[in-house]
Amino acid sequence: MAMFAGQEWFEAFGREIEGSETYREAAADWEGDIAFRVVAEPDRNVPEDLWGYLDLWHGRCRRAAAIEPAEAAGAAYTLTAPYSRWKDVVEGELDPIKGMMQGKLRVRGDLPMIVRYVKAANELVRLTGRVDTDFPDEA
Amino acid sequence: MRAVVFRGEGVVEAADVPEPSLQDARDAIVRVGLAGICGTDLHVVHGDIPMEPGSILGHEAAGVVESAGSAVRGVSVGDRVVASFQIACGECWFCRTGQNGLCEQHRMLGGGPFGGDLHGAQAGYVRVPIADVNLLRIPDGVPDEAAMFVGDVLTTGVHASSLASPGDDDVVAVLGAGPVGACVARALLADGARHVVVLDRDAARLEPIAALGVTTIDVRATNPEMALARMTDGRGADVVIDAVGATEAYGSALEIVRRGGRVVIVGVYTSQRVELQLGVAWIRGITLAFSGETPVQSLWGPTMERVAAGALDPTPLISHRLPISAAVEGYDLFERRVATKVVLDPWP
Repeated sequence: MAMFAGQEWFEAFGREIEGSETYREAAADWEGDIAFRVVAEPDRNVPEDLWGYLDLWHGRCRRAAAIEPAEAAGAAYTLTAPYSRWKDVVEGELDPIKGMMQGKLRVRGDLPMIVRYVKAANELVRLTGRVDTDFPDEA
Repeated sequence: MRAVVFRGEGVVEAADVPEPSLQDARDAIVRVGLAGICGTDLHVVHGDIPMEPGSILGHEAAGVVESAGSAVRGVSVGDRVVASFQIACGECWFCRTGQNGLCEQHRMLGGGPFGGDLHGAQAGYVRVPIADVNLLRIPDGVPDEAAMFVGDVLTTGVHASSLASPGDDDVVAVLGAGPVGACVARALLADGARHVVVLDRDAARLEPIAALGVTTIDVRATNPEMALARMTDGRGADVVIDAVGATEAYGSALEIVRRGGRVVIVGVYTSQRVELQLGVAWIRGITLAFSGETPVQSLWGPTMERVAAGALDPTPLISHRLPISAAVEGYDLFERRVATKVVLDPWP
């Protein structure tokens, strides 16, 4: 089991992406690295913001890691939401594209571009479900 | 007389200065009984609002009319009065339509060059131009401690509540439990709002507000977006009132308001800039309302009546009453958020 949004979790997520033919086809022309900010929820046992990073390029995941906030500055996209929203995404209760359009997931970067990749986004969400995840508020 | 004088960015001093005199037939000189320190004064002290060194600070005051020009009809020598922080002409289209905060001849007590370079009210005496418009008589039974709030922050709360205009079942989130937020919460409750939530990062500031019967959220312990989502079946707050005036609060307001909801900004902003993702704001159908300066003169009559009737009581906000000679300490207490509201007594 990997703690959500930790280094081990992102590494496992990256392996799932690399192993997905569906993602490879859906994101075949995608270019852009993505930083993830999981906003703290102290009362959900997430006392500090967590940050992660995926270097996604033409259907491949070249790097997946937990990062320090400063490393996120150069990413093409930054997706930000409170921990509970991300948990809803991982558990399939919040559609990420709808979440972006409703402001529940906040995007820094080219929003119209990212929402074009609905199939890839949905596959990424499905893949998070394949990672054996511990959630901090359930620990 | 003793006065609180701005000496330059970050420096205030209690000093002896000459008393003001009538400069126009419509002026009045008010002997100040109590003067408040407001968050806007901190903007001035920090240099966010320009001011010439040597100017007197402050714009919240209650006292007694000491002298009045020959054209003054609405108040008389000896009347107990509260001054409006904003000095309006009372004659332009905006004033005639109740939008005194947008007055063509707008000035402000202790507001520096943007406020017409009028000296402020943290002093033994203050000159109030166009006294018939900018002074309000205080009813018997209303102490200066309560009346002082009617010239600024309490009426700002009333204005914010009016702009928010929540429906019966609406959840109204107020960002900030400082004097503005506390007055907004009081006004909302007095106007009949049933679901008021006040958020702040300072738990100590939330305690007295919780006693009003509102829900409070310490945002250091609980994520505000998720807290409001959980209260509203995931929707978010129907109305959010930013009573802080900091970009973090503005950002938080947009995060916690529901789709189709309304954000009312009463906190004072100066030169800050923010990024607004227009497409998301558009598709979310957010209404963004900037309050501007409170049209005090159009709202303070009814506000004072509610104070006199006991429907609005701002006096619990006063945490420190200090002689004006201790003004530096008062500013420091307020700056460090140790004090909720500091009032200065020029004649201790």
